[in-house]
Amino acid sequence: MHFHEPTSLDEAVALLASGGARCLAGGASLVPLMTAGAMRPEHLVSLRRIAGLDAITVDADGGVTIGAMATHARVAACDLLTGGNAAVREAAGQIAHPAIRTMGTMGGALAFAEPSADYPCAVMAADAAVVARGPLGRRTIPADAFFVGAMVTVLQPGEVVEALALPPARPGEAGAYLKFSRVDGDFATACIAVRLALADGAVTGARVAVGGCAPIPYRVPEAEMALVGAPLDPAAVERLGAAYAEAADPPSDFRGSAEFRRMILPGLIGRAVARAAARLTGDDR
Amino acid sequence: MSGPMVAVQMTVNGEPVAVATVVERTLLDVLRDDLGLTGTKNGCGMGACGACNVLIDGVAHRACLSLAVTVAGRSVTTVEGLAEGGQPSVVQQAFLDAGAIQCGFCMPGMIVSATELLANNPRPSREEIRVGLSGNLCRCSGYVKVVEAVELAARRLPAR
Repeated sequence: MHFHEPTSLDEAVALLASGGARCLAGGASLVPLMTAGAMRPEHLVSLRRIAGLDAITVDADGGVTIGAMATHARVAACDLLTGGNAAVREAAGQIAHPAIRTMGTMGGALAFAEPSADYPCAVMAADAAVVARGPLGRRTIPADAFFVGAMVTVLQPGEVVEALALPPARPGEAGAYLKFSRVDGDFATACIAVRLALADGAVTGARVAVGGCAPIPYRVPEAEMALVGAPLDPAAVERLGAAYAEAADPPSDFRGSAEFRRMILPGLIGRAVARAAARLTGDDR
Repeated sequence: MSGPMVAVQMTVNGEPVAVATVVERTLLDVLRDDLGLTGTKNGCGMGACGACNVLIDGVAHRACLSLAVTVAGRSVTTVEGLAEGGQPSVVQQAFLDAGAIQCGFCMPGMIVSATELLANNPRPSREEIRVGLSGNLCRCSGYVKVVEAVELAARRLPAR
């Protein structure tokens, strides 16, 4: 195995163009796979010496761009991620354990696309976009279109995540992330991310994404739309939860059966939506 | 494992060290097998248990998830490096005095995590201690006295 530490993303992309090359971000997922013998790239291209790739910046329009190499610990502590973007910050703070959050990165977690991971549904609910760089240049992929299957994304060979672009935090919007796991630090049995907008007590926009209950995170746009134009009442939230349970394609594994996941989903969705709503009505923080 | 050897220079417990390693070896392998620092334990080898926690530039990391080649130029502190003048550190002594140690296997990682926690937060609440040590598994299941040990260390450390 050959080790490369390019200092620019262009150089990294050029190195990754050769067959048998893999990029190394924080290592929290790739290194144990290598240790277990499940992966053995011929060339390992570390991204850690690329200046600025871990930056978290505010864009001209007020959106926030999180560099691919930003660690979970930094995202979890980032006070730029407010309002509707809060789910991304809260998801980062619940990934694994403290000594892994200092290593694992935004780009690595998104590219890994583990179905039960924290970030995927959070970036989808937040209406983020993944900025990728490859041999053909840069492209921006909406989070809704980024995940293809379990551990599979639309990234092409040689393409790397450069950043995550989040929309501006708009007034009247709040976000929330809710994770249900067997123990602290485990992957989610089910996780919910919400971006909710209210005006004069009525819902003006809702994005709800679920992780851990299908090969990729998913939304049910018709169910989200059904909330719009009316106050959040318990019956409406119940219908939302039922629609998501219906749309789920959950695995049966050691974290829980498919039936169990479908059963807990509506309640979790209700709590996640209520948490976001409480932030707007002042009942919480 | 095969492939070219890579020369890696780093600081370990305050001393400069130079090793040559293949790319796929972890910091844990190098610490234990090349440098003889067996205080850092190989528990799960996949980041789940925390027995291999070390400080890299003062921040807790999993040595089993860190390729040695990525630690070049950085400063590593293992449990062996926490002692001060040949005496256990305040945190180490508190773990002894609180009776927090059962079989002892998880202790190096626990003590490294506790050391980092107290460096950042000298007066942690019980909840903050539990969160700070949440990535360290003890299969003797003796967490109560571990938390008490961190509280004891916090009381003994000079206020900052």
